[in-house]
Amino acid sequence: MKRRKKLSPPPCVPAIATDAILESISDGVFTIDRNWRILSFNRAAEQITGVAREDAVGRRCSDVFRASMCETECALRHTMESGAALVNKTTFIVTAEGKRIPISVSTALLRDRHGRVVGGAETFRDLTLIEELRKEIKGRFQVGDIVSHSPAMRRILEVLPRIAESESTVLVQGETGTGKELVARAIHGLSSRRDGPFVAVNCGALPDTLLESELFGYKAGAFTGATRDKPGRFALARGGTLFLDEIAEVSPALQVRLLRVLQERQFEPLGGTRAENTNARVVAATHRDLAAQVQSGAFRQDLYYRIKVVKLELPPLRRRREDIPFLIQHYIALFNAVRNKQVSGVSPDAMGVLLAHDYPGNVRELQNIIEHALVLLGEGQIELGHLPSELVPVARPSLGEGNMSDAVKAAESQAIRQALARHRGNRVAAAQALGMHRSTLFRKTRALGIAPPGRDGRTRR
Amino acid sequence: MKAALTIWEGRISPVFDVSREALILTVENGVVTSRHSESIEAPAPAAKIERLLTLGIATLVCGAISAPLQHALSVRGVKVIAFVAGEIDEVVAGFLAGRLPTEALSMPGCCRERKRFRGRRDREGGGGGGRRRGRR
Repeated sequence: MKRRKKLSPPPCVPAIATDAILESISDGVFTIDRNWRILSFNRAAEQITGVAREDAVGRRCSDVFRASMCETECALRHTMESGAALVNKTTFIVTAEGKRIPISVSTALLRDRHGRVVGGAETFRDLTLIEELRKEIKGRFQVGDIVSHSPAMRRILEVLPRIAESESTVLVQGETGTGKELVARAIHGLSSRRDGPFVAVNCGALPDTLLESELFGYKAGAFTGATRDKPGRFALARGGTLFLDEIAEVSPALQVRLLRVLQERQFEPLGGTRAENTNARVVAATHRDLAAQVQSGAFRQDLYYRIKVVKLELPPLRRRREDIPFLIQHYIALFNAVRNKQVSGVSPDAMGVLLAHDYPGNVRELQNIIEHALVLLGEGQIELGHLPSELVPVARPSLGEGNMSDAVKAAESQAIRQALARHRGNRVAAAQALGMHRSTLFRKTRALGIAPPGRDGRTRR
Repeated sequence: MKAALTIWEGRISPVFDVSREALILTVENGVVTSRHSESIEAPAPAAKIERLLTLGIATLVCGAISAPLQHALSVRGVKVIAFVAGEIDEVVAGFLAGRLPTEALSMPGCCRERKRFRGRRDREGGGGGGRRRGRR
């Protein structure tokens, strides 16, 4: 039998080749000596950390790398003490701009030609792109109870965790039904106060004097009938979040008191003689344009600036129509579960009407429309006949015996009317928005008996 | 005035977001009148901020810090001197002398020089082989 030839050691890779390889790869690599000083730092390491090689070499690795694991779970320390390599341990680093970058880290021992340990090598990979792709593949952003696919909402949902982490006062502006309270609840749920109370007060629902006693509480004997101390919402929200809805409706006198609480973190209950402390985080919301309220003198400027440390503007549903089909599915699933129904979805005609509607009541209105349909329907698809009558005003088929042709006409008529309204009577723009040729639109408006717009939409005046 | 310096192994802790201990200095007329360490370990960064506020801290000297936390501290009235690196005694001396932030006690890539790494393409096109530096 032929003896296997003894393997010769691999030829030594010249140092210049090693350098070229390290420079060409997209993973960051650095090596350290036994005193945690950086010996080498490749091009990708410069790019990921934002630190130039000449600044990094010779410095302590923790000052250069700035990873969340440095203090307690240093991967290189583990490897140098145990001799065992670590693979793909995830952590984050903080750049000079204060940005957190998610990374995965692998480590190995660095030995000299005699096999003695002289330090360690760390390889790290930027996971930012992977994180983003993961979200893209998942196809939607969900924070708390807020579900959205729209870029406008996505921007808000992306920053929400960071806003929640801070203790800043937040102002949420948006039309009615856009989910202001959901955002406030999400901020509370993502913050370190999540185990504390979430206390909501609608400032527009209570008369001024009642609101004052609700917010600040009262002491026994403060007024007739006040037989016992009653803690206010600021006291109840200690260690938690206080949500002040419809903040624009607060009277000027109460605005002054609110300002004092926000500035000094102290308040006095009605009839009380001593100020009490509050550490409640305040999230305020309004459907009004608060900056315009300030300009008109209806809202105090100093209070405005105190509450809008962080400002979030929630887009109305008509500006994020891509969310409508997903919200419909979300609410069908929700009401199926709550009401024990088996509704499978929405017919194309009904979907056409739902997509064309402008939703002045925003997500809440859509939610009510789906709830309305599920009251009428036990299983199967939501048809035009299951939608509220104001959505399908023309040629609305009667429930259960609807003729398909009538249903299509009704949906077409509704879509055309709303497209014309949105484009202020400009038929060419409306036809483009509806994805049809203008002559098709003209023919359909005549056939469906839709009156021509009162003015020619092409003229600007 | 009270100042907190986040510490680890006798140096400024590398990342404030996950730091666990702070050296608390009470400074009157530029002289340290008391000095002790406190745990600032907290389950969430927001709780760490609350802890510093409870301790009455007016100035925080720390290593790297993520922008939302720095913003949250500034809003609550705490002066933040961030991206500081070095042995604690050196940093305390620099702080008392009003020299922070200074390049000698800063993390690489931070502080006044604000060097920014530019891509290889920039360098290759630059001629002379030297690295260009951007000033922000």
